[in-house]
Amino acid sequence: MELFRQTNIDFLRWKWWAIGASWLLILIGFFGIFVQKGLKFGIDFAGGTQIALRFAEKPDIERLRKLLDATNLGDTGIQRYEDVSKNEVLIRVQQQKKEGRDVTQDVLTALRTGLTTGSDPSRVDLNVQGRDALTGRLLAADPDHLAGGSGENPADHYARAAERIIARRTQLGIFRSPADVEGTPDVSQAVRDWVKANTNAGPFVVLSAENVGPQVGADLQKKALWAVALSTLGMLVYIAIRFRSLPFGVGAVIATLHDILITVGLLALLQREFNLVVVAALLTLVGYSVNDTVVVYDRIRENQRTPKKEPLESVINRSINQTLSRTVLTSGATMLVVLALFVLGGEVLNTFALTLIIGIITGTYSSIYVASPVVVIWKNFVDKRRAKRVPVKVVPPPPAEPTLPKAAPAAAEAAPRQKKKKNRR
Amino acid sequence: MSKKVRWRVLLILLVVVGTVAGYVVTGYQHAKKEWIGAGNPPLSLALKKGIKLGLDLRGGIHLVLQVNTADALKAERDDAIETLRNQAREKSFTLGDFEMTAPNAFAVNVSAQTDTTKLEEAVKRFLGDWTYNVVGGKWVFQLKETARRAAEENAVSQAIETIRNRVDEFGVAEPLIAREGVDRILVQLPGVDDPKRVKDLIKNTAFLELKLVESGPSDRTALLAASGGQVPPTLDLVEAKAEAGQRQDLYYLVRKSAVITGRDLKNARPSRTGQFGQMGVTFFLTAGGAEKFASATGANVGKQLAIILDNRVQSAPRINERISDQGVIQGSFTAEEANDLALVLRAGALPAGLTYLEERTVGPSLGADSIRNGITASVVGALLVFVAVVVYYRRAGWNAVIALLLNAILLAGAMALLGSTLTLPGIAGFILTIGMAVDSNVLIFERIREELRGGRAPKTAIENGFAKAFATIIDTHITIVISAIFLFQFGTGPVKGFAVTLVIGLLISVFTAVFVSHTIFDLEYGRRAHIDTVSI
Repeated sequence: MELFRQTNIDFLRWKWWAIGASWLLILIGFFGIFVQKGLKFGIDFAGGTQIALRFAEKPDIERLRKLLDATNLGDTGIQRYEDVSKNEVLIRVQQQKKEGRDVTQDVLTALRTGLTTGSDPSRVDLNVQGRDALTGRLLAADPDHLAGGSGENPADHYARAAERIIARRTQLGIFRSPADVEGTPDVSQAVRDWVKANTNAGPFVVLSAENVGPQVGADLQKKALWAVALSTLGMLVYIAIRFRSLPFGVGAVIATLHDILITVGLLALLQREFNLVVVAALLTLVGYSVNDTVVVYDRIRENQRTPKKEPLESVINRSINQTLSRTVLTSGATMLVVLALFVLGGEVLNTFALTLIIGIITGTYSSIYVASPVVVIWKNFVDKRRAKRVPVKVVPPPPAEPTLPKAAPAAAEAAPRQKKKKNRR
Repeated sequence: MSKKVRWRVLLILLVVVGTVAGYVVTGYQHAKKEWIGAGNPPLSLALKKGIKLGLDLRGGIHLVLQVNTADALKAERDDAIETLRNQAREKSFTLGDFEMTAPNAFAVNVSAQTDTTKLEEAVKRFLGDWTYNVVGGKWVFQLKETARRAAEENAVSQAIETIRNRVDEFGVAEPLIAREGVDRILVQLPGVDDPKRVKDLIKNTAFLELKLVESGPSDRTALLAASGGQVPPTLDLVEAKAEAGQRQDLYYLVRKSAVITGRDLKNARPSRTGQFGQMGVTFFLTAGGAEKFASATGANVGKQLAIILDNRVQSAPRINERISDQGVIQGSFTAEEANDLALVLRAGALPAGLTYLEERTVGPSLGADSIRNGITASVVGALLVFVAVVVYYRRAGWNAVIALLLNAILLAGAMALLGSTLTLPGIAGFILTIGMAVDSNVLIFERIREELRGGRAPKTAIENGFAKAFATIIDTHITIVISAIFLFQFGTGPVKGFAVTLVIGLLISVFTAVFVSHTIFDLEYGRRAHIDTVSI
């Protein structure tokens, strides 16, 4: 199968339109950032607390909100995860001004005491407490009557039992009641009975709890900016060295910045949260975008080596056409995997995948319509200035180029390019 | 098959078999640590355990703590002040009031009666780490920069050591405790799912002092009435730990110098000590500590001895007789608290306070969900790519599929062998690598097609295609590696896992796309002297 058989599209003809379109998209992005009053930073960068809970039954958000408000932790937010059937909820608490409060514990305690009524709070909550706590209780109660015996070490025995019970919880997602322990394999009936009689199954399981202090957030912001800036600079240096030409390096960097700006802007417009994983996606995007550009540049360099004289625009057009099939195919293949991530990868990777989806589209576009036009515009500009200067400096045309059969202005235009060629291997 | 191709096939087989064997062996090693049944763990477990999983996938706690190095400086300052006071007493010169201006600076007021030569002599002899200026009637002391740095450095490395001891005592498999930056400590405890307990355990300063009680317990004003509202220079005012149902603001006046401190402990363990069988902690002293303790208790029978933990009086039992080598800390502890207190006493005190800067707990269920989602997305994504490549390139597409599969196998093996950690973003890196590794194959195949269109013979077209695409493949890989390198600076988090996976995957993709794919072409078309068409 072939999608593109020797196309001959005059891409550069539309370059000014493309530049206009790019600016429009970037401005839309800026508008997005402006409307949202800055980027929406996740707790990695903004600091604060974020707790993900899974409930046994569909949680009453209003009730949770009331319980949270009673904790006096300032600005809090509750958000349901996209998949409603999972009964999962994300709680955010703003950065605390006063240090010393264990926000996570405060929130969990408030919710647990507010939601459980009528059960003994001193009992182990199978859904919240971990293996160690359960081991301790089992060891103290000793339902298997191991203490004093000469058999295996009771501490190890109960640690293993507790581990299996927690594994059972992981398997079920949540214990709806202590009776769910019944299905735990490799645990004695005595232990199961003890658990059923002496524990509670609380209303929720803690999926994750994160708390980031203000210094760490500020640090990470700085690090992220530096990472993006330095990697872009690294690209500039690599390409400038590899292609021995500044315009190529600058073209690649402008294309990359273009992709970053559009992606960040669209993420803001879509109200996506900015966190470390998104920065990772942005850096990948930097690599991907430059990768795409390099393939086109490589072809331009190769085509310039042929002895045939050909204007730069036509060399570039030819190169883009020759690599078009590859560009579309690779972008398509990468897009397939990223789409799979977007649909199936789960909550954490969703924004990561979205960033790359936008990035791959703009990256592909920019390798054709930003990176190469920049080179053309730059060279045309330089040539024009030289063409203006050359006649003033060296009139009449230098006798050093008698082989050129063309008229003087054309020679002046061609001269610098030929000079460049010598530098270029 | 030509000789050259045979060698290449052999090399590829060697690499693949080696990596797979490496993966299985590593998997067995990891599985053995967790296997509790008899004999060797089954192969299925070993296959699951080859790659180390990050905290976000296996669950656990990630903590970043800051060492309050100012505490260490304050200790230096208090030592210096104490030394000057002692000198003033011994060499009988008078000193005015001390002013503590900063953690690493203080000033002493000097009056007309002060014998400055004696003061200067004492400073020269004992306060070598300090510089001083005479400003008006004050001597202003400042800790030297080198000494300040040494004290901070010491505090951080000692804190790391103490935390390591405590975590080891607590019994966590494969903990990571590392310094981060100047005064930060990173603690990662996989599998631990009780964050509150672990946090308390780590943060507990656990500084134990036993001091003789002068008076108390009573409220502040009553205690200080005898000394005119001021704490006498040789005594300390220490708050009592508030027990449930008791008065809140009780204090003790205790002697400043401790009889023994936590450093004199040899061991500590929880025990039932109270009259009603409450939990407490029994501690045992080293030989040197026992000697000090015996003489102090012998000389002070009938007095109270305050057991002070982190500057709170836990209890102040009366000394009934000379005690030498053990004592008991009473309080209303739960069994767990007594256990943890004994643990931190055994592990030693922290030299400075700690603040939690960052704290991330991932429960085991979330990790399991993430793995499931990640694997589904990877399999579906890879299958989509395989189908696309085979549809587009027909037979050559299968070459690409083999190369990509090898890429995935080698990547898994390399990660197991290098001991690198797979995180959730790492899984994304894994699948992204597959998308990008396709690029190399596409570059090559497109080149071959172009050569064929240009009228080259199939064999030449294949050779030229590989040769011409090579430079571009190297360029594209280097660009992505450059951008991934900058991800490393984000430390040990999931993002670093992403960078690791991406970089390893890309390096492997050069091998599979260029070397393996080329060899497959040679195997297919090489044995025939002449071929008419290439399925591409």
